[in-house]
Amino acid sequence: MRNVENRKYVIALIFLIIPVIFIVRLFYMQVVDDKWKDRAAQISENRITTYPARGIVYDRNGVKIISNEVYYDIHVIPKQAANTDSVALVKLLGISMEEYVTKMNKARNYSRRKPSEIVRQIPPNEFSQIAPELYKYPGFFEVARTLRVYPKKIAAHVLGYMNEANASDIEKDSYYKSGDYIGRSGIEKMYEKELRGQRGVKYYLQDAIGLSTGKYEDGKYDTLAVQGQNITLSIDWELQAYGEKLMKNKLGSIVAIEPSSGEILAMVSAPTYDPNLLVGRHLGANYGALAEDTLLPLQNRSINSAYPPGSIFKTVMALIGMQEGVITENASFPCNKALAGCHNHPTAQNVSDGVKMSCNPYFIQLVRRIVQQGKDKSIFKDAAIGLDIWAKYVRSFGIGTDLQVDYPTNVHGNVPDAAYYDKHLNFRWAFSTIQSIAIGQGEVLITPLEMANLAAIMANRGYFIPPHFIKSIEGGEIPEVYRTKKYTLVDSAYYEPVIDGMWRVVHEAGGTARRARIDSIEVCGKTGTVENFKRISGKVYQLTDHSNFMAFAPRENPQIAISVFIENSGFGGTWSAPLASLMIEKYITGTVSDTAKENRIINANLIPDADDIIRK
Amino acid sequence: MRGQETKLFAHIDWGLLGVYFILVFLGISNIYSSVFDPDNPGLFNLNTEHGKQIMWFGVALFLGLVIFFLESNFIRKYAYWFYGFTMLLLVAVLFTKPIHGARSWFGIGSVGIQPSEFAKIGVSLALARFIDLNSNLKERRTTNTAKGLSILWGIIPFISKNKSTALILGIPCSLVLLQPDAGTFIVFTSFLLVLYREGYAGNILLFLVISVIMAVITLIVADSNFMLLFTKIKLSGKTGIIIVLFILSGIFAAIIRSFVMKRNRKPLYRSLIGSFLVAVIFVNFVELGYSNILQPHQKERIDLLLGKIDDPDGKGYNINRAKAAIGSGGFMGKGFKSATLANASQRHVPMQSTDFIFCTWSEERGFLGAFILVGLYTFLLLKMVVVAERQRSVFTRVYAYSVASIFFYHFMINIGMAIGLAPVIGIPLPFFSYGGSSMMSFSVLIFILLKLDSERKIVLQ
Repeated sequence: MRNVENRKYVIALIFLIIPVIFIVRLFYMQVVDDKWKDRAAQISENRITTYPARGIVYDRNGVKIISNEVYYDIHVIPKQAANTDSVALVKLLGISMEEYVTKMNKARNYSRRKPSEIVRQIPPNEFSQIAPELYKYPGFFEVARTLRVYPKKIAAHVLGYMNEANASDIEKDSYYKSGDYIGRSGIEKMYEKELRGQRGVKYYLQDAIGLSTGKYEDGKYDTLAVQGQNITLSIDWELQAYGEKLMKNKLGSIVAIEPSSGEILAMVSAPTYDPNLLVGRHLGANYGALAEDTLLPLQNRSINSAYPPGSIFKTVMALIGMQEGVITENASFPCNKALAGCHNHPTAQNVSDGVKMSCNPYFIQLVRRIVQQGKDKSIFKDAAIGLDIWAKYVRSFGIGTDLQVDYPTNVHGNVPDAAYYDKHLNFRWAFSTIQSIAIGQGEVLITPLEMANLAAIMANRGYFIPPHFIKSIEGGEIPEVYRTKKYTLVDSAYYEPVIDGMWRVVHEAGGTARRARIDSIEVCGKTGTVENFKRISGKVYQLTDHSNFMAFAPRENPQIAISVFIENSGFGGTWSAPLASLMIEKYITGTVSDTAKENRIINANLIPDADDIIRK
Repeated sequence: MRGQETKLFAHIDWGLLGVYFILVFLGISNIYSSVFDPDNPGLFNLNTEHGKQIMWFGVALFLGLVIFFLESNFIRKYAYWFYGFTMLLLVAVLFTKPIHGARSWFGIGSVGIQPSEFAKIGVSLALARFIDLNSNLKERRTTNTAKGLSILWGIIPFISKNKSTALILGIPCSLVLLQPDAGTFIVFTSFLLVLYREGYAGNILLFLVISVIMAVITLIVADSNFMLLFTKIKLSGKTGIIIVLFILSGIFAAIIRSFVMKRNRKPLYRSLIGSFLVAVIFVNFVELGYSNILQPHQKERIDLLLGKIDDPDGKGYNINRAKAAIGSGGFMGKGFKSATLANASQRHVPMQSTDFIFCTWSEERGFLGAFILVGLYTFLLLKMVVVAERQRSVFTRVYAYSVASIFFYHFMINIGMAIGLAPVIGIPLPFFSYGGSSMMSFSVLIFILLKLDSERKIVLQ
């Protein structure tokens, strides 16, 4: 039989080789390679996320200013929605036929048995119309989800808004998944981590068509959603609402601070908008409209705009002069109109007079003594040394520095120092070159928040607590920095003459802010008028001045420090001062006594016309 | 009575029978686990697949008992008759109503019988009978006098010289192709292993291996084009293969010229040219068959296996789910009744209780279980080789190799497709896949082998 007998070994070998190949392959697939385990999890497990309710936000008196509301998404299971009267349904849901057809096709392509979204985020008042009719359309049903609601419709800029997390948010913080909402600005962004809580996850097993068939591993890996922390803000919602009412038809801002604590009582930026516009399905359209508005309603002017401070800056100059020893409180300078324009007034005999009369030449001469102290023979080097001393003092008032406010911003004012001018001027400079900084013009910039903080420093006679919105966090603590006093470089003893001047600004004949007078309360304030230049196609035009006013009240044991800034409104005493007094009275007494003053402010329309330049 | 009983079960190979029982037991437990329904937990419920499988096992045991009461001589004598009967069934089934596009089933009430499963028994018996009766004929021993690679084209003279053998295998092959049932057709090619063992066409296996490699290369490049080196001439993949074959032939010719004496060269040249021609024809045939004869879904399965298409949730759905189920089993598995993919209620793996039953086992029992199962099958196959080789009867030896080859093919293709090493061909895993016909036919194959083997000492033929 030749060597056919040996063939049995060949067959036995084949019967062995194949199983060995199988074992190697199985070992690789089951033990070595994790690819198939991941794939299996992807196929058979379904993670369902449970969203916690976002933290509620209260005002300082415990009134809800941000809350949650149930909105409704309409979903459809295409398989069950066979004979839909689409014309009637489209009308009921308030969408276009085109949109409906597109969404339905998308849903069918996705899955015939699994639900897809047709309309999203229908507010409860609209849904109450839809709900009783929805049963007529089998396959369509609602899915509830909570969204933000702003019951008082105030403080849009402060509170901020939310929208869906984008790719870069998801990349930055792995907590977020596509479709999640994230605080985009203001308090919603600042306190996102506290407010959002902790998502829960439930794992389910799913079958081939994606239907749930039970809990994965008896829920061993499930986590519960943790409710977001509620927070209380320092905002007084009534004061805020009143401020917004007063700022109607004006451009500008109001910032009110409680001096003793640094808590921000109100922050108005005008024009404002109803924060509820940026919630729900119309967010995109509304945001677009607001973003295109030339009056910039989305801009938070209180924090994110910096203007020259104008005459209110003179208070700081007087304080620095006394501290630096270049003047005493009884220093007198002639009103030399060759130095700067000024109105007609008696010569200021002391610091208090200077502040009250807001004499421009007085402060230019005063600041020259600070900057040009004669420490170097060269006038230019001397100016550089002096200016740096000056700038250090000014910065100690929080101007041009990071005030550490709990609001997402990186805008602050500007305090020019020697390095600044060396960089920006291409010629040698001394004080005479830059003297307008003495009266708060030129390169000095201040934000309304810094201005209010300055008022608080005056009220506290020399220190401030970084201004902040947070009053308390449920189950948490507010940062130490909001309980720490920050002292200026000027001793508190020097404040009294300046405060006296500020009192006289409001209460004495010849004061610039007589309109800020309230019979029952002693208000100390300082007006400012800021020259307003605008560069249009290379040419600089002068527009109507901005007016501002900073104040605190009462003079002893102050309860409120305030800054008001109204763009294009002319002289500071005309609009800003009375507006501030209304806020002060409203906050301290709860009512306003002078309704004529109130109506004058409310009814004023100070929004500049397009032809403002020509009119000037 | 007692003496008779002893005689009935005398010389039974308990090892083979033991593996059989173990496999059946594991198989039923696995089906039970895969289709388990908490609302209907009964093991013997005839509405469930495991209940039915137990019933079929009962029937199979009864058939086994009948076989044990038969005389071995009876089996031998009526082998052709049984073959003829199963061929008649294969013809008859062609006149039934198609189910899923194939005429493979006789429906009797709710029970389906698949005659091709029983045809395997018929062919095994007939082949054994034929070779037994013709064991003295010389011509089947060797094929032809040609040596070397020319054996490749000896396939035609091989068939013409062994017309009867070709007929025994050719009839059922043709009939199942008419159903059509490609899977069973492929199983019938397993008899080539038997023929190999019995001395037919010595290099038939080498021939098979070379053809498989060439076919795979042809299929990979079938639809592609390439640029000829250093030129801008675009050529089809097929042309490329033919060019490579031509170059190889040239190299062989050069080798022959350098190392073989002049007088011996001529026949070598002739076989070289012949091999080249056969190879070119084969490549063309494979390409033609792939492009024009195969049905789209069969073409897809081949493309998926070769990695030419990657579509895990579409065309590759079955195999992707099957691999995920097996791969997710890990070392220890997810545990009894704990499969999350290959499970009747999850329905991720299609045909999970029949063709893809290996997925449930591997997912729940992990690598350890899969290793044990592969080991059991390997033991079964090698045991059959041992049984075959200890026979003095040619009939029993051929029959034993037939059974071993059938089991081997089922084992190789079924598990191979589940782990992505073979194209998806719907054939059952013996004793594991749910199905009455396969349970009965595999059992009968084993019982006949046990019966024949038990008489190895009496039979002197």
